[in-house]
Amino acid sequence: MNIKLFLCYIPALLAALSCNSFLEVEPQQSISDEATITNSTSAETAVRGMYRALAAENYYGTTFQSIGYLSGDNIEWTGSRATAGQFVNHDVRADNESVAAVWSAIYNTINRTNHIIDKVAVLPLEPTFTQEKKNQLLGEAYFVRALAYFDLARLWGGVPLYLNPTSTSTDNRGLPRSSVEETFAQVLRDLDEAEILLPETTNRIRATRKTAWALKARYYLYQKNWEQVEDYATRIIDDEANYRLLQPYGAFFMNDAVATAESVFELAYSATNTNGHRGNWQPPQLGGTRQWAPNAEFVTLVTNPAIGGNRSVLVDRTSDGRWYGNLYYRSPATDPAYIIRIAELYLIRAEARAQQGGAKLEGAQLDLQAVRSRAGLVSSGTATQNGLLLAIENERRIEFAFEPHRWFDLIRTGRAAEVLGLTDSRRYVLPIPADQILVDRALIQNDGYN
Amino acid sequence: MIIHKIQRRYQWLWILCGFVGLTFPVETIAQQTVPLVNSVLDGTVIDAATKEPLAGATIDIAGITHSTKTDENGKFRFVTGQKFPYTLIVTYIGYKTINIVADGSPITIALEQDATLLEDVVVVGYGTQSRRDLVGSVSTIKADETKQIPVGSFDAQLQGKAAGLQISSNTGVPGEGIFIRVRGTTSINANNDPLYIVDGIFLNNTSLQTVSTGGKETSPIADINPSDIESIEVLKDASATAIYGARGANGVVIVTTKRGSFNTKPVIGFNATHGWAHAPKIWDIASGPENAALLNESWINSGIDNPALNQTYENRPFRPVEEGGRGTPEEQETYDRLGDVFRTAQLQNYDLTLQGGNNSTRYYIGAGYNRQESIMQPVYFERSSFKLNLDQQISDRVQIGLSNGVSRTFRNQARAGDGPQGGMFQTALLVATYLPKNNPDGTPAKWGPWDNLDVLLNNYDVTTANLRYIGNIHADVEILPDLKFRTSFGVDYNNYEEAEYWNSLTLIGAPPTNGRATSAISQNSTWLTEQTLTYRKNWGQHRFGALIGNSLQGDIRKTTSAEGTDFANDSFKLIASAANRISNQFWTQSKLASFFSRVDYNYAGKYYIEVAARADGSSRFGGNNKWGYFPSVGVSWRAKAESFLADVDVIDDLKLRASYGLAGNQNIGDFAARGLWSGGAGYPDIVGGGDKPGTAPQQLANRDLKWERTRQVNVGLDISLLRQRLNIEFNLYHKHTKDALLQLPLPSTTGFGSYYSNEGEIINKGYEIGIQAVNIRHENFQWQTSFNLSGNTNHIKKLNAPINVYSRDWIRMQEGYPMYSFWLYNQLYVDPSTGDAVFEDVNGDGQITVADRQIMGNALPDFYGGITNNFTYRSWDLGVLFTFQYGNDVYNMNEFFDMAGGTRPDRFAIANSTKRWQKPGDVTDVPRFTTVGNNYRLEQNSRLLEDGSFLRLQSLTLGYTLPNRIAERIKSKSLRVYLVGSNLWLLTRYSGLDPESNVSNGQNVQGLDFGTPPQPRTIQLGIQLSI
Repeated sequence: MNIKLFLCYIPALLAALSCNSFLEVEPQQSISDEATITNSTSAETAVRGMYRALAAENYYGTTFQSIGYLSGDNIEWTGSRATAGQFVNHDVRADNESVAAVWSAIYNTINRTNHIIDKVAVLPLEPTFTQEKKNQLLGEAYFVRALAYFDLARLWGGVPLYLNPTSTSTDNRGLPRSSVEETFAQVLRDLDEAEILLPETTNRIRATRKTAWALKARYYLYQKNWEQVEDYATRIIDDEANYRLLQPYGAFFMNDAVATAESVFELAYSATNTNGHRGNWQPPQLGGTRQWAPNAEFVTLVTNPAIGGNRSVLVDRTSDGRWYGNLYYRSPATDPAYIIRIAELYLIRAEARAQQGGAKLEGAQLDLQAVRSRAGLVSSGTATQNGLLLAIENERRIEFAFEPHRWFDLIRTGRAAEVLGLTDSRRYVLPIPADQILVDRALIQNDGYN
Repeated sequence: MIIHKIQRRYQWLWILCGFVGLTFPVETIAQQTVPLVNSVLDGTVIDAATKEPLAGATIDIAGITHSTKTDENGKFRFVTGQKFPYTLIVTYIGYKTINIVADGSPITIALEQDATLLEDVVVVGYGTQSRRDLVGSVSTIKADETKQIPVGSFDAQLQGKAAGLQISSNTGVPGEGIFIRVRGTTSINANNDPLYIVDGIFLNNTSLQTVSTGGKETSPIADINPSDIESIEVLKDASATAIYGARGANGVVIVTTKRGSFNTKPVIGFNATHGWAHAPKIWDIASGPENAALLNESWINSGIDNPALNQTYENRPFRPVEEGGRGTPEEQETYDRLGDVFRTAQLQNYDLTLQGGNNSTRYYIGAGYNRQESIMQPVYFERSSFKLNLDQQISDRVQIGLSNGVSRTFRNQARAGDGPQGGMFQTALLVATYLPKNNPDGTPAKWGPWDNLDVLLNNYDVTTANLRYIGNIHADVEILPDLKFRTSFGVDYNNYEEAEYWNSLTLIGAPPTNGRATSAISQNSTWLTEQTLTYRKNWGQHRFGALIGNSLQGDIRKTTSAEGTDFANDSFKLIASAANRISNQFWTQSKLASFFSRVDYNYAGKYYIEVAARADGSSRFGGNNKWGYFPSVGVSWRAKAESFLADVDVIDDLKLRASYGLAGNQNIGDFAARGLWSGGAGYPDIVGGGDKPGTAPQQLANRDLKWERTRQVNVGLDISLLRQRLNIEFNLYHKHTKDALLQLPLPSTTGFGSYYSNEGEIINKGYEIGIQAVNIRHENFQWQTSFNLSGNTNHIKKLNAPINVYSRDWIRMQEGYPMYSFWLYNQLYVDPSTGDAVFEDVNGDGQITVADRQIMGNALPDFYGGITNNFTYRSWDLGVLFTFQYGNDVYNMNEFFDMAGGTRPDRFAIANSTKRWQKPGDVTDVPRFTTVGNNYRLEQNSRLLEDGSFLRLQSLTLGYTLPNRIAERIKSKSLRVYLVGSNLWLLTRYSGLDPESNVSNGQNVQGLDFGTPPQPRTIQLGIQLSI
């Protein structure tokens, strides 16, 4: 140190300068992570950042969604990236880049929720930062964390549960995977918390108490807790002032529509924060790459007036006769990411009612018909429990063709073997990304992927 | 009469002069007068050491055009109109040129042997040394030897010219970044390029490019006109680089530009070349009918493999139209697109210089213009440069100097890398040949994810213009005869303007985007001030020198960019006319404070020791480790100076060297050590409320982050034999990098992908051999050879978890293996009975999973080098440079995309398909075409990994210098015409176009050949004139 000091004083130029202050440079584009959520404004900005993570390309922007529909039976892979083809063929490998991307995008979202839950909870109240505001922000974080763990559980089964923010490189690693049941239990805890904290307002692009109810309805569907499904779905369906099926089907997305009455929860994009989803669907003529496209079987179904009805607007054809999906089409690429639509609540209530059978079958039929009528279709004509369940399954296939449902539906109902011919049940969950197992030895690979 | 004869004899030269725009009035030659005799001078020229007469020495009288040569007895005679005294200039090959004043006859002139190599002044860190006294390992390259090689940047021209310097061109696009390593790659995540210093300025060589050219980047080095460069020194061992401390670990490239000379008449130099370039080889693509037949075959095979696909002979795509098909394969037309994208490119270069000086001022003024078209349309590179170097002696003790370089570089760019949209090359190569260029209605047809090639060729509009200033002012003060002080201030400023416009005909601008324009203006400014004190003193046989100094440096880089979409029509091109506009801004800054010192001592020119150290403080590093210290020590022993070798005539010099020291690397992001949250993650609060500001975690802090340190040991031997006609340099080195700056992968559960830490260890070890030989030294014929060969082995000694690189993880960095290793499934063979690829089941579990991927080969060569032969015969000169690399592997990504068994619809371009398995019994490594199974679905097939070793005729130069007496008559000092060919011949087993092609400038991406044009084969004609 003495030498350094000595040298410091030799050149006259340096006499006035302290070396260390010369070397202090503060970034202007980012801020230090030492003081991030300190007041009302910074709490709000952090919550917005959390939604941006939820809407990120590899989560609800594109990749997570694509795994949900590519793994079903409506889509064929037409592009150059075999990673997409692996989902279509149910031959997903542990080094699949999309699998790794979704895994990290979801945990990235979770880390943002954990920061908010941890730091907003201890913020002092101020005139501009009321208890209601605080509850709302916390509730939104709990909701998003619930959704994130729900999606993790759907894709991978049990996952490690991290509920605290990452502040250093040693945080949030090394936990073993929880069981599926434990993971779903965490989802419920967060949803309960969100339900209490969130205001009962309508906001289609942010979580409210009603959004939490809607997700609870879906949650209980996966848990086969039919009474609860009915209860929570009904709360939304009955709120007719705010949520209703739009006529015709295309009204919820065509003509640049956003946040219509159809939508319970969707994510917003802008010219600055675009949604690249369209690029994978649209043909080159329209500035896309058409990485994947509706397959012939689905095109036949959706363009059949008796099956697809007015939902045929989901697909379109290029001048050279190639079909492409047209749910995501805007320019600038601001297509919303649809997470929960009212149609889903009708169909999950229909399913819950059909599952309960007996007197509830009629209600199930009415719920199903609500969605069919909107698509311009007459009654499915089935009244039996099994017939209805199958009709609901098929209805969901068309209704949510390009939203992430079909794969998860077939897995949760145990129908994947029959419908997709996928008998190896080890393929019902994805592999833990191979590179993650290398960096975190606590992670154990799912069966069949070693 | 004589004049007429000469005119006839050199008629073709006049034609050539006229061709390049130079005409000299014939009258100037006709003005001859009868000489008036005022003096007669008889003289003899002898060797100063042996006193032997020298035959063929040239004697000129300074200031007039009178010249003669010595006869076989070393004698000459002048009968001249000059009166005594006058100055004679005596030149003789292999001897030092001398100026001597003749004041009466006769005269004896003794010439000293020109011990060029040993007496050469070598530029080292903060000083110069003679090569004889050099302790460190330093390579010197004279820029004149390489400046005609048609690439944009001088560093690319150095390929094959220096031991220990590995250069791979990456692409045939002029002015793009190259792969350059000094003694191997030492870092995974910190930049591995050497430190460039131009006239004392630390050159910024981070590309400011923001527009996408498919992973490629422009080279900031290309802003410098190679013609202004005097010499280039490459510092390699720790003894030489430690004085550059934290930035020395990748080696240091010191560029010295030309300066005038005191007391010299002005000399005007003019150099002009014009040349042509073309692709030496292009891909062999399948014709339309072949392409269609292959698709049918794949269709049917896939249907057999998986009946659920319902793909049969009956519904094959290419069946007769009346059966509902696209016509039979034979009916398909062939549409060639590759021919449209390649062209014969034009190359031009003009340099005009003026240099000279009086007793207190010297100057060098250089102006240059260079234009190089790429063989791929519509790419070209253009540079206009101006250089002014000035030195002024203010008093006996004070001298100030100025170096100024200004250049304007313009690039017309296109995507010559990865990614389909706007990808010029891929569009030409990957669209099936049976697909027409136009739709039946005449509109341009687009196929697959690609643009229409004609649309691209006619509408490509991606340009970059940058203005670069590199300048330095310094003052040297002689405080005492032995003590000198130097202070300097330098600036490197780069203003880099990019503009892109994609009109509505291109995919990127197609409706609904309706045109996309981007504009980005980036600026980089570096300032630097340095103060040094040097002391040098001899006491008898003890020679002592010391240097201390400090430097302060600051860098700021910023970019402001805007993008507009949705234009009313294609006539509007400015963002101001766009309906949607977004903008962005970027800013970053770093500072460096340093102190350095070097002490050298030698006893009687026999025993040398040199100790250097540098302390660097950087704003980039964590609070706990802002300062790094880099010491080195070097010793050498000049055995020749010992008495036992003094009488061994065959050995002219023999020196043994050894050095040991530390150097660092700090080439990471300016704020990499910080824990940061970013802004900009905006999201609305209510529907239609527009994005409100958001914040989010960005990176984790590492307060302990510090310099990457490379410890290097070097031992070397220099030997000079046979009157210095054979000079050999040999080096062995071992570089051990610790605390490697690494973006250490974190479990994603943390919410972060990685963070910067000092985790890895990398070892490079190797040898270098440099030989320079004067094979023949005759008055009329000289032949010199210089040869260099370097071998380097690299391996990652410590890395906690492997790091995968590039899409499909083709490259993997893994402990125990070299960097740039390929991570693949090993295809053992193709089963002759089924045609299916059989892969190595590494873990023996009966199935091929990720666990069966293995490291196979790597992109680094085992050894590389170059050999240069220079011949001069009378007025003719010939230079031949071969470069070579051995043992590097290349992944043939073009074939991967182009011959994918039908898994990529419509694409079958490479006629290599003929090697595929077709029927039982076929023995081949190209599996049966099918979209099912592992044959083509496994994307990391070792089959496509090829040997990229090569031997290339890098350049061949043939020149003719006009004899002095003719040159004088056209009032010029010298005139040379020459022809340069580059890349004239290539020997390689690689099946692609160029084993040096690489898809990206990403520093960990090497050996992936995709989407980029090969290096061109060029021929240039030039003329070099000085007056």
